Amino acid sequence: MAVETEQMDFSQVSRTKGIIFRYLSLGASVFGILTLGALLVYVFLDAFDLSSASPEWLLTYFVTLVLPLTGFCLYSVGDREFAQRIVGTLAVGLVAVAVGFTAFETLIRPIPRLTWPLAYMFLVATPVIGYTLFRAIHEPAGNVGFGLLGRLLAGLGVGIAIGMLFHVFDHRLWFLVYTLGIFPSAVLYVVGATRESSVGRFALPVGIVGTLAAVFLRDVIRTYPTDQLVYLWGIVLPVAAVAGAIVYTRSEDKRTAGVVGIVPLVAGGAGMALGSASLPEAAVVIVLAMTTAPIAVFLQKKVAAGDGLEGLILPVILVGGSLAGAAIVSTVGFPAPDPWLDFSYLTNAPSRNAVEAGLYPAIVGSVIIIALVAIISFVLGVATAVFLEEYTSSTGIVGAITRIIQVNIANLAAVPSVVYGLLGLGLFANLLGFGLGTAVTAGLTLSFLILPITIVSAQEAIRGVPDSMRRGSEAMGATRWQTTKNVVLPQAFSGILTGVILALGRAIGETAPLLMIGAATTVFNPPSSLWSKFSAMPMQVFAWSGFPQEEFRYGVVAAGVVTLLIVLLGMNATAIVLRNRSESDA
Amino acid sequence: MSQNELTETDSLITTEVQTETREETTTTTDTVIETDGLSVYYGDEQALSDVTMEMPENQVTALIGPSGCGKSTLLRSINRMNDQIDSCRVEGEIGFWGKNVYDSDVDPVALRRKIGMVFQEPNPFPKSIYDNVAYGLRVQGLDSEVDVDEEVERALKGAALWDEVKDQLHSSGLDLSGGQQQRLCIARAIAPDPEVILMDEPTSALDPVAASKIEDLIDELVEEYTVIIVTHNMQQAARISDRTAVFLTGGELVEFDDTQKIFENPEDQRVEDYITGKFG
Repeated sequence: MAVETEQMDFSQVSRTKGIIFRYLSLGASVFGILTLGALLVYVFLDAFDLSSASPEWLLTYFVTLVLPLTGFCLYSVGDREFAQRIVGTLAVGLVAVAVGFTAFETLIRPIPRLTWPLAYMFLVATPVIGYTLFRAIHEPAGNVGFGLLGRLLAGLGVGIAIGMLFHVFDHRLWFLVYTLGIFPSAVLYVVGATRESSVGRFALPVGIVGTLAAVFLRDVIRTYPTDQLVYLWGIVLPVAAVAGAIVYTRSEDKRTAGVVGIVPLVAGGAGMALGSASLPEAAVVIVLAMTTAPIAVFLQKKVAAGDGLEGLILPVILVGGSLAGAAIVSTVGFPAPDPWLDFSYLTNAPSRNAVEAGLYPAIVGSVIIIALVAIISFVLGVATAVFLEEYTSSTGIVGAITRIIQVNIANLAAVPSVVYGLLGLGLFANLLGFGLGTAVTAGLTLSFLILPITIVSAQEAIRGVPDSMRRGSEAMGATRWQTTKNVVLPQAFSGILTGVILALGRAIGETAPLLMIGAATTVFNPPSSLWSKFSAMPMQVFAWSGFPQEEFRYGVVAAGVVTLLIVLLGMNATAIVLRNRSESDA
Repeated sequence: MSQNELTETDSLITTEVQTETREETTTTTDTVIETDGLSVYYGDEQALSDVTMEMPENQVTALIGPSGCGKSTLLRSINRMNDQIDSCRVEGEIGFWGKNVYDSDVDPVALRRKIGMVFQEPNPFPKSIYDNVAYGLRVQGLDSEVDVDEEVERALKGAALWDEVKDQLHSSGLDLSGGQQQRLCIARAIAPDPEVILMDEPTSALDPVAASKIEDLIDELVEEYTVIIVTHNMQQAARISDRTAVFLTGGELVEFDDTQKIFENPEDQRVEDYITGKFG
């Protein structure tokens, strides 16, 4: 009946609420990002003193650096969709100009020390280059180029970090441990594995005895080789050996493996020569070894694959462009800005004079704390997560206790960091006597702070391992521990690592707990042991922000913030790469 | 291929003879696994009720029946994989060479080292093919006693996978096709040389070609091992098994006899209805 009387109605169903909601949420996120972006622009301006850059200076770098880079990106994204991408880029650029103009007038114009060329750079050039970079990474050439660049930067970072660790952790002890324990143990293991002889089983005891002997002999032996020799023998040689071995197992090509193994050795030796001749630090040796070995391995792999080799142009463009720009600027004499964030900022101690002030002791302090926190929170967090996920049952008293622990861990993640500072002050500094403001106290306090996050993320990763794997392993007659060790942990490892790195990112930026445990705001020498007073990057930045001089409050603080941001972004990028790798493996 | 056809025609023509030899073997071979009044409960729900049966050595015993009839529960009770489920409760006995596996002095881990298992979904570990097959040897500590390379080759040949993967032993087991993965899981199960292999619907996630390869494989495996297989596919049970147990809803063992007899002349009307598709 109803069908006869009423017309079938297919007219528009109202979606008004949905549309309003969609654009409101879009507007909210765009507003948030733009506000944060404006703040970052402000900080970068101050850190690199770009406001005093002349148009000629900007133009020079635009021509030597930005144009070749853009050209390379456009080339590497391929011919097939070339025209389409140009049009797309142009359209994006036009929209970006329009949006940028509005945003500039409302948000950025009020910022002092901003000029039109700078605004253009931030609002149009940077997003467009960023977009093409993003697209280019997924093309063979871009892939190779960025892979190489990433290894260059990562090697530099790891090398500097290890070099810094050796300032604190005795490198002579390392020399003895390596010579007496690790090296003989590794030789025994390799001989045992390749010759199928039984000497391999002595590797572990020899390693342990050698390490103990090294600890005992550390104070007995009076003379040691020079630092450079220690680094060459104890770091460059093993790195070269590992790089050569990686290439050999991958390609079975002895000649290439030899070359790849020798490159870091030669580079390390050259670094040593440079180091003893003019450069101050034997750490250069470490940096060179850490940088050249992965690059050599990477190049070998890409040359073997033979795809996207033109991507090697990219590092040449970036390095050559920077050098060419610097040469032109200095010969023609364009007025160059004087960035606060420069090499001396990273290597100087804090100073009353803003121009001489540096972050070096605080960087070393942060690196040491992060190393401690990484070790402590990884071990404790993974152990707890494995216990909670693999060893508890869901019923009975154990199940009830597990649930209580579980709920409490989730709650602990929300406890303010000041409270953890109080815990560190009471427990580690006073009760256990680790001392006020020492690196050990800070490391333990920050480990406890991020432990809940580490545990929860490790639990997520372990829970992500399919149950069929566990059942498969158990049906083979594996014990719970064998299943965990052989199947669950390897599968969950990259997920666990991602969570730990993200949590470390939080630890490195924490200030409040450090204030509570009495860390120094300013120290003039890097900490010489785990028990010495130290400062960390956020503490130092906080201290400078209270200085009366304007140079400190703007320039020096901004440079510190940018350093901190770069470190954090680097860590997060590592976490993302690890996660993507684990997803592509699965 | 020609051999397959041959055996099929063989079985079609010489049914009488084969049945006779089978009867002979059942009477002479020993019983590996026997259940005695076995009842399994999940919480208050009864999954198996009072099952008593004997599974003879070097034969294929098929467990068939509709979903939820408890046949997989029986399989998992044999190697005590049900221990993982907190609410699971077992009454009665399962004898493995006369020893009750639910005795307090039986370590389920040690038991599973004698009884291999293959699951419904292929579940190779995310390791290389070699490491997958060597896994059992390693966790059972046999890798120092035997030549692992040799054992891996033997197991892969036993699972009819050697010719397909011998050049890529160190690539990931996950790169194989579904059927190859399942044969890899079989190779993994037989590598430590168990006595019994339990198979929980091993072909239900595979295409017909891959499934028929697994069926041929089971025919060969039974010369060395005792195979107990759960299947939904009645033709499969008829093709590969020597004895068949039919379960119906409620976990009741309705009939257990030679496969030939179950499919040609079942005693219970419900079994006939189930096999002819009138029920279930």
